[in-house]
Amino acid sequence: MKKYHLVRRSGQSIKRLLIYYLIGITISMGIGAVLLWSLGINPFEYYGRMLTIGMVGNKYAYKNVEGLLKILVPLLITSLALGLSFKMRFWNIGGEGEFLIGAISAAIVAFNVTGLPRPLTILLMCIAAMLSSGLLGLAVAFFKVRFNTNETLVTLMLNYIMLYLITYLGKTKEDWNFFLDPKSARPIFGKFPESAIMDGIKIGNFNLLWSVIIAVALIIFIYIYLKYTKHGYEISVVGDSAATAKYAGMKVSRIIMRTMFISSAMIGLAAGLTASASGTISETVTNNVGWTGIVVAWLGKLSVPAIAVTSVLIAILQFGCKTAATKYPSIDSNFADLLQGIILFSVLTADFCATFTLKKKEDAKK
Amino acid sequence: MIDVITLFLFSIVVYNIPLLYGTAGEIMIEKSGSLNLGVEGTMAIGAVAGYLAGMRSGSLLVACLVSFAAAGLVGAVFSFLTVTLQANQNVTGLTITTFGVAFYYFIGNAVSNSPSKWPALGGSRLDQQFAPIEIPLLSKIPVIGKTFFSHTVLIYLGIIIAIVMWFYFEKTVPGLKLRAIGENPGAADSLGVNITLYKYIHIIIGSGIMGIGGLYMALNMGGTFEGSNCWINGYGWISIALVIFANWSPAKAILGTFIFGFFNTLRVQNAPLATAFPNTLGWLTKIPAQFFSALPFIITLIVLLISSVRKNNNSCEPSAIGRNYYREDR
Repeated sequence: MKKYHLVRRSGQSIKRLLIYYLIGITISMGIGAVLLWSLGINPFEYYGRMLTIGMVGNKYAYKNVEGLLKILVPLLITSLALGLSFKMRFWNIGGEGEFLIGAISAAIVAFNVTGLPRPLTILLMCIAAMLSSGLLGLAVAFFKVRFNTNETLVTLMLNYIMLYLITYLGKTKEDWNFFLDPKSARPIFGKFPESAIMDGIKIGNFNLLWSVIIAVALIIFIYIYLKYTKHGYEISVVGDSAATAKYAGMKVSRIIMRTMFISSAMIGLAAGLTASASGTISETVTNNVGWTGIVVAWLGKLSVPAIAVTSVLIAILQFGCKTAATKYPSIDSNFADLLQGIILFSVLTADFCATFTLKKKEDAKK
Repeated sequence: MIDVITLFLFSIVVYNIPLLYGTAGEIMIEKSGSLNLGVEGTMAIGAVAGYLAGMRSGSLLVACLVSFAAAGLVGAVFSFLTVTLQANQNVTGLTITTFGVAFYYFIGNAVSNSPSKWPALGGSRLDQQFAPIEIPLLSKIPVIGKTFFSHTVLIYLGIIIAIVMWFYFEKTVPGLKLRAIGENPGAADSLGVNITLYKYIHIIIGSGIMGIGGLYMALNMGGTFEGSNCWINGYGWISIALVIFANWSPAKAILGTFIFGFFNTLRVQNAPLATAFPNTLGWLTKIPAQFFSALPFIITLIVLLISSVRKNNNSCEPSAIGRNYYREDR
């Protein structure tokens, strides 16, 4: 017979968790360093360049911060949104699809509503994006609560349907297709009119986009929403046990549908802001935030502050690898994904070590 | 005209058999109650490892074994994380996909930039072994002979794997036990089935099968590494859809592969068909390619919705899918 068995540790210690995480991340960076070294790249130089996102000795360092923020904002909002649905154990992996439909809706407004002042146009774009994404999420939630349809698989299918929809819009040269650049013979997505492109606050040369400010406000709002409101409490009860929630007289179906609407609408908002900030859309407008957001939400243990910190770190990892890749020809920006994968594997292991412990069988019997 | 039809049917089989590998592998994993969203990444790792090993050794058998082993190793990581460490299956699977595709680019770039360069398939010993095998007599039947009986060994192998797997699930005791784990792990555990062992073995074998599918993809696409496009090209995701469409049956997966393959081939070959039959099939060129690409996902979505609305009892979706089993959690 086995002498040892696994037991859940009683009580979560944040300190222990952080130490285990740190060990895990260090080991992954070590593996990454070995990989870099095997390519003949000095890992310290590479990591140094990556972690400082190429700002050291760069006259245009503020440009790099702007670039980092452009990656960060959609990732942050999407991760927060996905975390909201994961809290109810609702496996919405449809961030990509919800983001894409939001971006398409924002573009419809941007191309067709002209002559309005800029803030109003962008507001309309965001509302359109939030409504379309929110309704898509609501539909998935409806099927889940009414017919117990597998939400993971449904949202997965929707991701690809939306991807091919936007590809279709970007590749079809027809008279009705207002998404395309009319001047180009080759089908490419057109540039939004000036009034639909987001501006920001100038701080010296640095341009702080409004989307960054909105994202920060959203972090605070969601934190309060989850921690201090009735809705937030309901979400956590449903996540712990739907049966308990039902017994306590909560309308579980309504809570799930409402939360999914909010969660998807937030992803729509991320899409609207991203489209407006970049002034156009494309098949790669999501920058994979729908997928990465799932990992970020999970790494952040579905806690709002932790998700915020994790998304900053992942954004630095991605943007840093991108800037570092320009220096080293033998490696491309996909190295970020490789490293991200290794980090997640080791953090999942660290997570396990922090929650479980080995105990001798005899001890358990007593 | 008959040539156009033959080529069309032939293309369905030749370009879409990786779907069968991916689907069969995923069915095996899902039958054990695990949802592995890492098909795309597992296939990518199997492809790149198998291809490079095959080019170095000059043997298709070695290529297959290495891609099976490499992808199986990925399956072992997935099992370790989700079965032993109780990690979330969705997150682990998605990470395997990101990791696997990134691994493909990493190895591809590293080898391409090395002094020995990326090995080219054309004219190599591996390429010769990947030549079609004409089955005597059967391959002489018009249309059908070319479509079904003049293929490379990996195509026959894929179909054999699916049939053997069907037999394994339906007619053998371990297959029955596996299905029990997927339906109700608690009950299977109480009957003395070693759940951990069963899950590990089947996840590893299922992943290995996906890996061979990836290798086929690499060989069929001429084995050239492009820095911007992964060989697997979304086939892993279509495989996940196909599992649902095939209702978790490896036998139906063969049929499903040809149905999804039919749409896929329509996208590629709409022009020759429209030219050969201008009156009846002329409309084909008017349908956007993206519609055909999206069709597998649209059909699967409809299947998912309808079968849940009708509370379809015929659905063979394993009840415990996606949830980890921890004995002391009951």
